[in-house]
Amino acid sequence: MLAEHRLKAFQDLITQSSREELIWMNGFIAGLVTSEANGTGAPEEMKAAPRVSKISILFGTETGNSKKVATEFATQAKKRGINVKLSSIDQYRITDLVKEEYVFLVISTQGDGEPPVTAKKFYDHIHQQPLGLDKMKFSVLALGDSSYPMFCKAGEDVDCQLNKLGAKRIVPLQKCDTEYAEEAATWFSQVMKTLSDGGSSNTATAPAKKPKGKKNYTGVILTNLNLNDRGSNKQTHHIEITVDEDVQYEPGDSIGLIPHNRKELVENILTITGVDPDTAIEFRKERYTIAEALTRKINIIHLPERVVKQYASVIHQEIPDTRIDLIDLLRIYPVKDAAQFEQVIPILEPIAPRLYSVSSSPEAHSGEVHITVARDRFSINGETKYGLCSDFLSQLEPDSTIDFYVHKNTQFKLPAANKDVIMIGPGTGIAPFRSFLAERDATGADGRNWLFFGDQCFVTDFLYQTEIQNWADTGVLTNVHLAFSRDQQSKIYVQHRMLEYAAELWQWINEGAYVYVCGSRTPMSADVENALIQIAQHHGGKSATEAFSFVENLKEEGRYLLDVY
Amino acid sequence: MSEKNNLSSTEHIKMKSDGLRGTLKESLKDQITGAIREDDRALVKFHGMYQQDDRDRRAERSEKKLEWLYSFMIRLRIPGGFITSEQWEALHHVAGAYTTGVIKVTTRQTIQLHGILKSNVKPTIKTFNTAKLDSISACGDVNRNVICAAHPKFSAVHEEIFGYAKKLSQLGLPKTKAYYEVWLDEKSLTDKKEEEDPLYQDRYLPRKFKIGIAIPPNNDVDVFANDCGLVAILENDKLVGFNIAAGGGMGATHGNASTYPRLGTVLGFVSGEEKVLKAVYEMITVQRDFGNRSDRKLSRLKYTLDNMGVEAFKAELEKRCGFLLEPERPYQFTGRTDFYGWHKNHEGKWYYTAFVENGRVLDDEQQALKTAFLEIAQLHKTNFRFTCNQNVIIADVNNEDKPEIDAILRKYRIIDHTSNASPLRKESIACVAFNTCPLALAEAQRVLPGLISKMEPLLDKYGLQDDNISVRMTGCPNGCSRPYAAEIAFIGTAYGYYNLQIGGNRTGTRLNKLYKESLNEEGIIQELDGLFKIYSGKRNEGETFGDFAKRVKWVEY
Repeated sequence: MLAEHRLKAFQDLITQSSREELIWMNGFIAGLVTSEANGTGAPEEMKAAPRVSKISILFGTETGNSKKVATEFATQAKKRGINVKLSSIDQYRITDLVKEEYVFLVISTQGDGEPPVTAKKFYDHIHQQPLGLDKMKFSVLALGDSSYPMFCKAGEDVDCQLNKLGAKRIVPLQKCDTEYAEEAATWFSQVMKTLSDGGSSNTATAPAKKPKGKKNYTGVILTNLNLNDRGSNKQTHHIEITVDEDVQYEPGDSIGLIPHNRKELVENILTITGVDPDTAIEFRKERYTIAEALTRKINIIHLPERVVKQYASVIHQEIPDTRIDLIDLLRIYPVKDAAQFEQVIPILEPIAPRLYSVSSSPEAHSGEVHITVARDRFSINGETKYGLCSDFLSQLEPDSTIDFYVHKNTQFKLPAANKDVIMIGPGTGIAPFRSFLAERDATGADGRNWLFFGDQCFVTDFLYQTEIQNWADTGVLTNVHLAFSRDQQSKIYVQHRMLEYAAELWQWINEGAYVYVCGSRTPMSADVENALIQIAQHHGGKSATEAFSFVENLKEEGRYLLDVY
Repeated sequence: MSEKNNLSSTEHIKMKSDGLRGTLKESLKDQITGAIREDDRALVKFHGMYQQDDRDRRAERSEKKLEWLYSFMIRLRIPGGFITSEQWEALHHVAGAYTTGVIKVTTRQTIQLHGILKSNVKPTIKTFNTAKLDSISACGDVNRNVICAAHPKFSAVHEEIFGYAKKLSQLGLPKTKAYYEVWLDEKSLTDKKEEEDPLYQDRYLPRKFKIGIAIPPNNDVDVFANDCGLVAILENDKLVGFNIAAGGGMGATHGNASTYPRLGTVLGFVSGEEKVLKAVYEMITVQRDFGNRSDRKLSRLKYTLDNMGVEAFKAELEKRCGFLLEPERPYQFTGRTDFYGWHKNHEGKWYYTAFVENGRVLDDEQQALKTAFLEIAQLHKTNFRFTCNQNVIIADVNNEDKPEIDAILRKYRIIDHTSNASPLRKESIACVAFNTCPLALAEAQRVLPGLISKMEPLLDKYGLQDDNISVRMTGCPNGCSRPYAAEIAFIGTAYGYYNLQIGGNRTGTRLNKLYKESLNEEGIIQELDGLFKIYSGKRNEGETFGDFAKRVKWVEY
């Protein structure tokens, strides 16, 4: 019945297995056959006690959503008497992997299909090491954002790779969009059901649910102003968007925005391809004119290698693996004619949205959403270039419209009103803290607030200065400390100010303050973390190791929260 | 004595300031603002500073959610307007590092620097201190910088008289060490007795107090525009004493008839250093005790003098001095102008007076004053003097060094510029006004050069191009450029509008009067065109514009 190589594998398995394992396999296969016969549909509420008693739940998180989901599931599983080992992937001892029997991973995807930074080591390890994971049974819950071309890619990769390494997938990969709660719950029910069935492989369960779409809003630009004064190296736009309907968001959330491509660039593409701008086309199941699609929907810059490969096959030419702008591709490897360009359209990917922390508060700025956008300027071969989305946003005129959706950040939330909050947000990292402060001001929250802000120069770069002054004057802010790096010979950053006020900072933390960090991941958030560890050493009398775990514990308790990028 | 129960808010700030300390240290530590606290803004003046902001930028900064662009103006105390080459170098570098870059020579013979951010104030003062310069009492309700005839060629006794400027400056210094504690981080005194101040007590003066010393026949210091004016009396090239005048002051307030500009009244003559210093000291104490402390608009010595009556004031002064003033001695003023170009003094040393329009030392398309002065300073062969007409004198040049200095002055076109500027332009003075002066109603130093350029063709037209008519402009009626003592004055009333005043004389002993109210630039030019035409046709031989205006009753005296 079995093909030769499969038969051999089967026989190998049997001869190498212990008696107990054989019994287990017997039950497993029986279960499998039954479930296939019954055609499992929607998961049922479990009644029976699970037959598997020990599992590991690992999470790889960026914004904290994966952690939240994983923690919730771990709690549920424990209630059912399962011994759960819950761990962030970066804290998981990677050598334990080969010993694992039941592993469930919750992992998000960043940017162009990247795993979260905390999961990078794990991701590389499983892709680079010749591991034998034959003992393992697993399932992956992938979180992501369907607006990105590489939706849930990290989850897919991990799922696929574990399988390759010999681990057995017992519940199919579940991808979730930004509104993940329902799909995640479904996946977990299936996991639990499978475990109660004795951990039988359940690959034939109902196909994973298609992620739900997300709520899109259309807003009108009310104000768009550059907060930096003349003479600054920076250009930071404060953008106020007004929306007719009630936007559901909380301080700490972000919004996702799709930038438009630059007009000149689109015109160049239209000219070089000779295509009629009004040609009607379909892109990702919606109809547009080609000009409209190229402006608002299709990513035309820095095309990934996978797209370049497909382009090469459409025009039947050899093109080396590289990332390149569409216009350059069209110049170097031209399409035959307009018709061939139309064939290129479907292989192109949609413009990925960019996330911006909301800098307004629903309580203080009702009917509006504010964002704080640094116009990203960089130089390539001596030519000044601007980041697509920040450039697009910085140019938006009042009264123009913009589409966006809310991206929940469940971890980065204000604590109870009576808790103290320490906010460390240099540069555009100030955004969520403007939201926090406005919210706490509007709601009269009585917890103390302490802000660390920094930028290049006091005179030109003190974002939201007058608002911060007002909060300081009215007592909403108990402390404000500022670090302007270029106002003196030696560079001063927020972490230096933290160390300067270490004793008081330590006191706040000891009294239960929540610490929030927003802004650039490197080097800022790492420097801030080092400062916290130092403070725990010098003012908490802890050893280096103790101080390190103190800070880790703060994270575990949800009292040290990051929104870094 | 003034009523205690109706003191102005500034009086309370002074008295509770703990020797002018206030909360200045805390103000400097406030990271979130470039400003200092409200009360400290009054106190910082006593340390030679004003908090200002760039008024051109207010609206734009507010929109950007940034506070106003606050900065500080620091004015130095330079009695008699004399500094060394080394001090000029220090000044040059401080100006480059922390300020707008412009070194401004004031109408009271000192230097002020603008645009210093709060965080740079201490470094600025520290650098000054290293160069033995300070800004103590350069502003505030105390004796201000003592001015003295600048030109070293008048007499052999110039140095002796210049010594009076330094001694009077020392006499009028407050005893508090606050300046050294706040700005230079010196430890506070454990024994506060050293700070006991019999002159200023804890309340200082009701208002600023200005002392000027003139050496006839030149009145370049505008001696009668000072609260206390000393006119040196020389006999056989020896200083025999001073005529002492009281009650000069330029300030007035639009629409407040009880305010007015006033020239000093000569009270008498005093001789001998001890008596001269005593007379000035007691004039300060009379003002301290009799000056108005409830209304700052009416608190200058001139109002004290007029309220008491000149005789009563003089009697009080003599009582406190313990001696009587002798009768006024005769003297003659012939002008107020500076002696431009190269001149030799009594010792055989050379000096060069460079024309600095509105006192702004900078490099521009016409000349490179700042670079030239730095190069000269770096030679360490000369000294620098400032005049009350806002010009700079390269002083004490040895005969053998003159060609080297001259070459630098030519290289940077200073000599060209000084020689070619019209007499009218050289006689013009404007105050700072916009964009930093908080009192300004209209522009001054930013528009006067342009207005002069429009007046020059008028003078050419009527053959008056060699007339050095004195023209002064202020952005408000407070009179920082001593406008009321000019032949022609433009006094700002609103943005773009000025009162036209005429009739003052060329020696600073007669005030001008209002001729036309609130003229814009076009109106001013039109009026002056008509006046110059009549003046050129009907004036007597040698008759000045101011004297003519009085004679033909364009304004009533």
